[in-house]
Amino acid sequence: MRRSTALRAIASTAGLLSVVLVTSACTADSSSEADTITIGASLPLTGEFSQGGLDTQQGYETWVAMTNEAGGLLGSDVEIIVKDDATNQNTVVTNYNNLISEEGVDLLLGSQSSLLNIPASAVAERNKMVFVCPSCGSPDMYNRGFEYIFFSQQAIATSQARVFAEWIVDLPEDQRPATVAYPTLDDPFAGPVAEGAEKILSAAGIKTVYKDIYPSTTKNFDAIVAAIKDSGAEMIFQGSQFEDGVNMIRSLNLANLEPAILYQSSAPTYGQQFLDGVGAENAHGVFFSSSYNVLAKTPGNPEFVAKYEELFGGEPPEDAADGFAAAEVLAAAVEAVGSIDDQKALADWLHANEVPTILGSLSWNEDGSPTGDFLVGQWQEGVSHVVLPTEAATTSTVYRWRGDAF
Amino acid sequence: MIPFIQTLIFGVLVGAVYALMASGLTLVFGVMRVINIAHGAFAVFAAFLTWTLWQTLGLDPLLSIPIVAIVMFGLGWAVYQAAVRHVRNSHVSMTVLVTFGIALVLEGVMGFVWGNVSHSVRTDYSAASIPIGPFYIPLVQLISAGIAVAVLVVLYLVLNRTWLGRAIRAASVNESGALLVGVSVAAVAALTFAIGISTLGAGGAMISVLNPFLPGSHYQWIARLLAIVVLGGLGSLPGAVIGALIIGVAEMFATTYIGSAWPVAVPFLIIFVVLIVRPQGIMGTRLREDLVA
Repeated sequence: MRRSTALRAIASTAGLLSVVLVTSACTADSSSEADTITIGASLPLTGEFSQGGLDTQQGYETWVAMTNEAGGLLGSDVEIIVKDDATNQNTVVTNYNNLISEEGVDLLLGSQSSLLNIPASAVAERNKMVFVCPSCGSPDMYNRGFEYIFFSQQAIATSQARVFAEWIVDLPEDQRPATVAYPTLDDPFAGPVAEGAEKILSAAGIKTVYKDIYPSTTKNFDAIVAAIKDSGAEMIFQGSQFEDGVNMIRSLNLANLEPAILYQSSAPTYGQQFLDGVGAENAHGVFFSSSYNVLAKTPGNPEFVAKYEELFGGEPPEDAADGFAAAEVLAAAVEAVGSIDDQKALADWLHANEVPTILGSLSWNEDGSPTGDFLVGQWQEGVSHVVLPTEAATTSTVYRWRGDAF
Repeated sequence: MIPFIQTLIFGVLVGAVYALMASGLTLVFGVMRVINIAHGAFAVFAAFLTWTLWQTLGLDPLLSIPIVAIVMFGLGWAVYQAAVRHVRNSHVSMTVLVTFGIALVLEGVMGFVWGNVSHSVRTDYSAASIPIGPFYIPLVQLISAGIAVAVLVVLYLVLNRTWLGRAIRAASVNESGALLVGVSVAAVAALTFAIGISTLGAGGAMISVLNPFLPGSHYQWIARLLAIVVLGGLGSLPGAVIGALIIGVAEMFATTYIGSAWPVAVPFLIIFVVLIVRPQGIMGTRLREDLVA
C-alpha cells in the first residue's frame, strides 16, 4: 500500500513537472513570437508578372533589413512571409487566405499589379486588415467601397499621365502633335492610363486617329504598326506592360515609323531590362510616367538606394522602390497608432494623415486612392531622367523620340 | 490593296515561324501518339541557350542553331528515356499529364538558372527590314521563314530518304510489323522525340530574336502550337505547315481589319469551322501517310 502511494506521488510529481515544463516551453514560444511582427504578402514570383514581383519582393526585403537594423517596428523584429502566386488570380486569393488563417500574420502588404490586387484586396477587406498595395493603380480597385485598401504610389492609372498630357497641350502650336494613336494593352492598369491621357488631349483638340486594345498574348505588332502608319499619327501613346512595349518599338523600327513623341506606360520603367530589349538608341526620347527616380532627394531615398545595392547589387528598379514605400506607409501607421491590434485604427490614421516616403509624401482619399501626381520620365542616351514637373526634373532638356531636343 | 498585301506578307512570315515551331510537335504525335505539352517549354529553353551563347561568346543566334540543336537533341533523348517512354503506350491523356509535368519542371529549372525575368537578344539585323516598293519585309522574320523551310525540307528528307526515316515510318504505321522486320521501335521512338525537340534549336533562336522571353512564356506558345497542329491534323507535317500559315495569316488579317483584340479568337473560330467540316483536321485523314509518303 505504501509502495503504491509512493508510486502515485512520483507519478503525480512527474506529471506536474511535465505540465510545468510544457507550460514554460509554451510561454517561451509565445514570448518569442510576440517579439516578432510578421507581415504577409503574395507576389507573382513566377509567370507573366514575375519581373515586377521579384523587384517588389526585393523592395520589401530591403525595408525589413533596414527596419530591423534600426531596432524594428514598435521595438519588435519584423519578419516577412512572401508566397508566390504565379501571376494567377486564384492562387493570390488562396495565398492571402492562407497567410491570414494559417500563418496568422499580423499585417499585410499587397501583391503586384491591379490584376492580382483586385481579388487579393477583397480577402483583406473581408478580414478587416489594412492592405497597402505597391502596384494597384486601376480605378476598379477603388469603386467597391473598401475601407482598408491604400495604394502607395502618387496617383491611380487614369491620372498617371496627367502631367505628361498637360505638357503636350501646353507645347507651342508648331511643336504640338495634331494627331495621336492609342494602341493599348487589355490590362486593368494599362488601359486607364491611355483613357486618362486621351481625355485631356482630345479636350485640347488633339485628334485620335487610331485607338485599339490588344490582348496580352499579342507578340507581333507589325500589323498594328502598319495601321498606325496608315493613320498618319504624329504621336503614339501606348498603354503597355513590359513585353508589348518592347515589341512595339521593334515593330516601329521595322516599319521605319518615327513619331516625334512616343509615350509608353510601365515598359520603360523596367530599367536595364528595357534597354536590353530595345537598345539605348531606341529608348532615347521615350516618355513614361514614373513613381520613382533613383536620384530623387526624398526622405530616406539615399539610404534605400545604398541598402538595395548592398543586398542585391545595382540600382533599385521602380517596383522595388514601390514595394519599399508600401512598407514605409504600413510602418508609419503602426508607429503612429502604437499597436498592430486595431486594424481599423491603422486605416483611420492613414485616411487622415500624410506619410513621407521615398516616393515623396503620400496621402489618400476615402476610397484609398492617392491624391498626388506622377513624375514624367524620359530615357536620354541610356539614362532615365525626370523631365516633369519642372521642380522635380533631373534635366531641363526634353527630347523627341530618337531625335533632337524640343 | 496595299494594306491587304502588306498584311498578307506579315501573315505568311509569322505563319512560317509557327510552322517551324509546330513541326516537332506534330512529328512526335504522328509517330508516338504523345501530345507533348512541354514543347513550348523546350522552345523557350532553346531560346535561353541561344541567349547564353550570344551573351557569353557573342555568338550570333543564327550561327548557334547547330549547337543548340545538338544540345536539344540530347535533352530530348534524355527526357524521353527518363519520363516519356514510360507512358508511350498509355492513353493519350496520360502523355498530356506527364509532359505538362515536364513543362513545369523545365520552367522551374529555367527560372532557377536564368531567373524569372525577361531576356532579349538584339542583333544588327533585329530592326532591319527590306523595302520593296510600298511594302516592307521584316528581315528577321524573312530569315525565320527561310530557316523554317530549310528545317522542314531536312525533316522531309530524313523521313523519306534515310534508313531512320523508313524506320520511323514503319514504326508509325505498324509497330508490331516494324519489330518483326528488325526495327528497334523503342530506339526509333527515342530518336523521333529527340529529333522533334532538336528542331527547336532553330525555333529557340528565332524566339530569342523576335520577342523578349522568360520561363513562363511557354504557356502562350503551347496554346498556339496545339491550335495549329489540331487545325492541320494531329501528326501531319504538311498539315502543321498549312495550319501554321492559316493561323498566321488569320491573326494578321484579324488585327488589321477587325481589331487588335481578335487575333486570339479568329484562328479558333476557323478551327471550329474546320473541325465541324473535317473533325480530323485539314490533313488528318492522311495522318500516317503524311509521315510515310
